[in-house]
Amino acid sequence: MKQVAFIIGGGGGIGGAVAQRMAAAGISVVIADYDGAAAERVKSEITKAGGQAGALAIDVTVAREVKAVVRDVEKRHGRIDILANIAGGSAYTKRIEEFTWAQWKEVMDANLKGTFLMCREVAPIMQRQKSGRIINTASNYGVTGSALRTPYAAAKAGIITFTKSLALELAPDNVLANTVAPGPTDTPRVMQKESAEARQQRWWPNIPLGRTAVPQDLAEMYYFLTTPESAAITGQTFHVNGGVVMP
Amino acid sequence: MRLKGKIAIVTGGAQGIGRAVALGMGREGAKVVVADLQAEKAQSVANELKALGAQASAVEVNVANESSVKQMAKSTFERFGRADILVNVAGIYFPKASVVELSEEDWDRTIDINVGSNFLCCREFVPSMRAQKSGRIISLASGIGHYGMRQFSHYAASKAAVMGFVKALAREVGPDGITVNAICPGSANTSMPRQHRTEEEVMGRLRSTPLPHILEPEDIAGPILFLASDAAAYITGQSYNINSGSYMF
Repeated sequence: MKQVAFIIGGGGGIGGAVAQRMAAAGISVVIADYDGAAAERVKSEITKAGGQAGALAIDVTVAREVKAVVRDVEKRHGRIDILANIAGGSAYTKRIEEFTWAQWKEVMDANLKGTFLMCREVAPIMQRQKSGRIINTASNYGVTGSALRTPYAAAKAGIITFTKSLALELAPDNVLANTVAPGPTDTPRVMQKESAEARQQRWWPNIPLGRTAVPQDLAEMYYFLTTPESAAITGQTFHVNGGVVMP
Repeated sequence: MRLKGKIAIVTGGAQGIGRAVALGMGREGAKVVVADLQAEKAQSVANELKALGAQASAVEVNVANESSVKQMAKSTFERFGRADILVNVAGIYFPKASVVELSEEDWDRTIDINVGSNFLCCREFVPSMRAQKSGRIISLASGIGHYGMRQFSHYAASKAAVMGFVKALAREVGPDGITVNAICPGSANTSMPRQHRTEEEVMGRLRSTPLPHILEPEDIAGPILFLASDAAAYITGQSYNINSGSYMF
């Protein structure tokens, strides 16, 4: 039976690469994204390459929407083997006194609450299956902190510890939960804000491996966490960052 | 096959986790040097590898002895001409002793074998990896290096030191395309914990993890194979915990 992976944020840079990697390994992927058209684009690339994919739009911060979408995906596919929560990010870099309460909540919701809501709906399905892999997404900033990104760093740190707690809760049912923590990664979203040259100047001298990540570097780790080789791993945080942070 | 044609050296390759790593490397297409203090057992793992169709050789080595490590490197280069992957598994977990009762000799021995070995082995293989602008070094640390353990201060210190060494070396050799990472296993189903625990105690501990999954040597070997593969090209300086959920750092 083909495994089914539900990839949230699958229309984005890292999420898209994760969807591609899993589909290439024969996994049937359901690509969900706030930007439904982006999800459709990744879907059509995958199906063109002979993979199996579906696409849908989702706002992970709306509880009833998450509930309905998960119910629909389960109905359609009969199971969910893998949940990769990759939606998130932050549009803001500013001093704490300049953050509005609404902006704080926006960043916390898009990252931490969205992860909670998705896990809350998908975990019972995996528990009934007595198997499942949940992969959440933090950031090296969730460990080191980052000036001008207080809500983002807090949300990402929250995801790390949320995932540990979830892992302990789900372990008896053989449902594994881990976190991937990317470092600086060249996604289309960040490349819109900063030129390749500026990124190189800013980052490369500080990264032991001498370059920023490409989304495929991250995708390999997400995929590894779905394989039998990672069957004994739960509650852990996997930094993939070229050595920029070594916790 | 993810490691086709690569030359891999596995210290402590004669048994337990090291043996699982050596066999896994062979299955993935690597040519494997099984290096161990126990020469006969190392040879038998090399024979298993050959039976799988992999090229392999066994080398007797004392990883805490400078000239012995140099000899191991020399025989690797003579036999295979290069070194792509070094996995530092050799180590000891003995004796059990409180800090006030631990002898200086046992302290030195544990530190030398568990972390001095990393220094000696890496020092021999890094120059050729640098020259070829690629290489993978993976060292066995332990969750005990994070959380400590009573009556094992020497072991805990040595394994924390492995993680520190790995981070420093990762920074040093990153610009040369070499990655250096550590794996921190939890208590695994090997002979090591049986040195100071009864069978019942060992199995009780193995069954007490959050995940109902007894940690086998293959569970540790899998992530090591991943770190040795092209898929992990962007990972360095990390210490990954593999422990059925017994500890989350």
